[in-house]
Amino acid sequence: MATIVAEATGQAILQEEHEQSFLRKYIFSTDHKVIAIQFLFTTLFFLAVGGFLAMMMRYQIAWPDQPIPGGGIFPESMVASGYILPEFYNSLVTMHGSIMVFLAIMPMLVGVYANYLIPLQLGTHDMAFPRLNMYSFWVMVPAGILTLASFFVVGGAAGAGWTLYAPLSARPDLTGVALGQQMWLVAIVLIGLSSIFGSLNYITTVINMRAPGMTWFRMPLTIWALFITAILGLLAMPVLSAAGIMLLFDQTIGTSFFLPEGGGQPLLWQHLFWFFGHPEVYILILPAMGFTSEILSVGSRKPVFGYKAMVWAIIGIAFLGFIVWGHHMFQSGMNPTLGLTFTVSTLFIAVPSAIKTFNWMGTMWRGNLHFHTPMLFAIGFVAMFAIGGLSGIFMASTPVDIYIHDTYFIVAHIHYVLFGGSLFALFAAIYFWFPKMFGRMMNEKLGKIHFWTTMIFFNLVFFPMHGVGMVGMMRRIYDSTGYAHLQGIGGTNELMTWSAFALYATGFLFAFNFFWSIFKGKKAEANPWNATTLEWQTPSPPKHGNWAEVPVVYHGPHEYSHPGVTDKDWLAQNERPDLPSPAGGH
Amino acid sequence: MRSDFRTGSVALMTAFAIAACGGGGDAGGDAGGGDTGGGDAPAAAQIDPSTVGTISGTINFAGDAPAMTAIDMSAEADCAAGFGADGPMSQNVLVSDGGLANVFVYLSDGVSGAPAASGSVVLDQENCRYTPHVFGVQTGQNIEITNSDDLLHNINASPSVNRGFNISQPRAGITSNQSFAAAEVMIPIRCDVHGWMQAYVGVVDHPYFGVSGADGSFTISNVPEGTYTATAWHEEYGELTGSVTVTAGGTAELSFDYSASMAGADVPMGEPLVIRHGGDHTHGQ
Repeated sequence: MATIVAEATGQAILQEEHEQSFLRKYIFSTDHKVIAIQFLFTTLFFLAVGGFLAMMMRYQIAWPDQPIPGGGIFPESMVASGYILPEFYNSLVTMHGSIMVFLAIMPMLVGVYANYLIPLQLGTHDMAFPRLNMYSFWVMVPAGILTLASFFVVGGAAGAGWTLYAPLSARPDLTGVALGQQMWLVAIVLIGLSSIFGSLNYITTVINMRAPGMTWFRMPLTIWALFITAILGLLAMPVLSAAGIMLLFDQTIGTSFFLPEGGGQPLLWQHLFWFFGHPEVYILILPAMGFTSEILSVGSRKPVFGYKAMVWAIIGIAFLGFIVWGHHMFQSGMNPTLGLTFTVSTLFIAVPSAIKTFNWMGTMWRGNLHFHTPMLFAIGFVAMFAIGGLSGIFMASTPVDIYIHDTYFIVAHIHYVLFGGSLFALFAAIYFWFPKMFGRMMNEKLGKIHFWTTMIFFNLVFFPMHGVGMVGMMRRIYDSTGYAHLQGIGGTNELMTWSAFALYATGFLFAFNFFWSIFKGKKAEANPWNATTLEWQTPSPPKHGNWAEVPVVYHGPHEYSHPGVTDKDWLAQNERPDLPSPAGGH
Repeated sequence: MRSDFRTGSVALMTAFAIAACGGGGDAGGDAGGGDTGGGDAPAAAQIDPSTVGTISGTINFAGDAPAMTAIDMSAEADCAAGFGADGPMSQNVLVSDGGLANVFVYLSDGVSGAPAASGSVVLDQENCRYTPHVFGVQTGQNIEITNSDDLLHNINASPSVNRGFNISQPRAGITSNQSFAAAEVMIPIRCDVHGWMQAYVGVVDHPYFGVSGADGSFTISNVPEGTYTATAWHEEYGELTGSVTVTAGGTAELSFDYSASMAGADVPMGEPLVIRHGGDHTHGQ
């Protein structure tokens, strides 16, 4: 056991570094970086699973009259005589959405990057509650196992849509799914627990454990975004967990919270779900906005344009996120006055969103642009988020929403926000922080091929969905060929399906680059991007405890092309132009 | 340190335990057994052939049978085209020359031991109608459900004591296999897409059952010698019971007499099933 005593800001810090067993170091680790990497591998796995489910859906949509190749490997309850069965299609739709939202994108944004970045960018040794942090991962593992196992129980996986509207979700006789639905609900309660554990940790760490000099408005925008996201998670996830438990009780012990025959209210489910669900949308996008702000600044070699406006925009979006849930329910029956209120409050969100979008462009404007892979994905995020945001304005308006409700227009919108938005930013983040996590660079050429193919095929898959939605194709339809008004969209559906296959294939390119680079990638320096935030002032990867000496922060997070610095175009947060560079961890 | 490890181990074990529970067995899977059902008892392979006999009889119907009602299949023109000039008619009461069809007859008491089920019973969907309309299977015997119509049917079985199923067959040529684990007379099967499609399956734990044909006659073969109670079930007129004695190599006569005045009788039937607690069964809402 070695003991290191370091001096920082006049205060002695005792840091213990000791030999750990394999289990403690890599499995039941309390090190925020290891937990982040555990989340990363787990969520990448679920991203692949969720994508695979989407491929099966796309095959069915394009060629509903043809047996699916290789269908024989599936149980007869899923694929019979080579054909995807309608009830399995319902499960595919439900579980694709659920897995992508709850087991892939949300934990990847927060579980991976809040864990990895908060202590490093704030200049602290670890999270406030390291053991709680470990639990937040290990509570998610059984949720994932339950989710996957639910495909193989009698009746199959949940099939009432990822929004689980009651009474469809509450009455097994309506869907044929009983146990699978219950497993989904238990999984969602566990995921809620994981999220609450994580949020408590992130909030406490950000409030209490910032390095000396790291004032609120010196925090990187990533941290601001993750901090506000954690508050959203802490307020929203318990609502979903409570609703999930109530639904579970309706299914198992005979309560009637959501069943009208027992005096319950199906509409109550919608209120509870969307009171969680709309903040959830911002849980899924705010961290992505934070990453993008950071990476655009690094790639443009300019400070973030309008840093404080960006912070207030994050806070504004988060606040508005809690008063707009009713815009998901325009079709459910609502007092028109209330509908108008939700319309107006929703339209207000365009203001902080536009602030962010224009500030991103302002950040790039006349910058010394470096089009490396993270930068490309960050720019891609801005472009795709703009499209997703604009289509969202359509839905905010009740009369328009009534027309496009439950059509593929909605599917297009959600994917422009969650794939074009969140996932593009996540790819940017993975490429950007990979060298810090693994000490090696990802292959740049493969990264650029990954970006361009993703960009092209993503748009080929999802842009035409606006059109088929406007024509009236229903979002969860198993076979659209039987409808007279949908006779003309077969070719478009085939194009989208082929493009979806290509898009999924680009995922393999990414996976190859990711795993190959872990072992064979070029060795990374401590600060390969010449970035300013604190995590780049430690070795790649940082050691247990992160810092031999807690850094002292002297200025804001995005000091690029600083006029007081002549020998380089960046100034680390723990550097003062009038002092020699800190030892940091170079 | 030790407590950390212990806590972690407990978390891991809990995860796997939950997964193991969650991944619990598929009780509704395939099972072998039985002969073709639908009236023909399977060969009693384990029973000495010299000790078995046959039950033969007729289901008589007295009085005026209600007129068959026309089914409006205009929404499925392909199905409607499969019927004659009169179009599709209801099948719930079919009387011909005083004989009542589609009556399920089974030995309800006196059977001790029975050969295991083997083979499959085929339930087809043709011209938007179940064929057969009434049939029997042995517990665990495979029911091969096929779709001869090139359109979507769902098959929604609603038992009281067995595990139900609700599966779809979106086009012609699809086959699904199901079975019931416990004896239950009768289980309704319906298609939710086509409200007129209805079938009934009787599940018994032996192969000694039959269904009356168009003329009301039925035969149960390979029955071990002995005295039994037999029960007849009809979807509109309910149950009747009778006693029958089977002798080796002989044919025992057994008849049941239904009448128009029995309309509205109590008809034993499964109810929609809600599966709770991953395996317990309770009656529906």
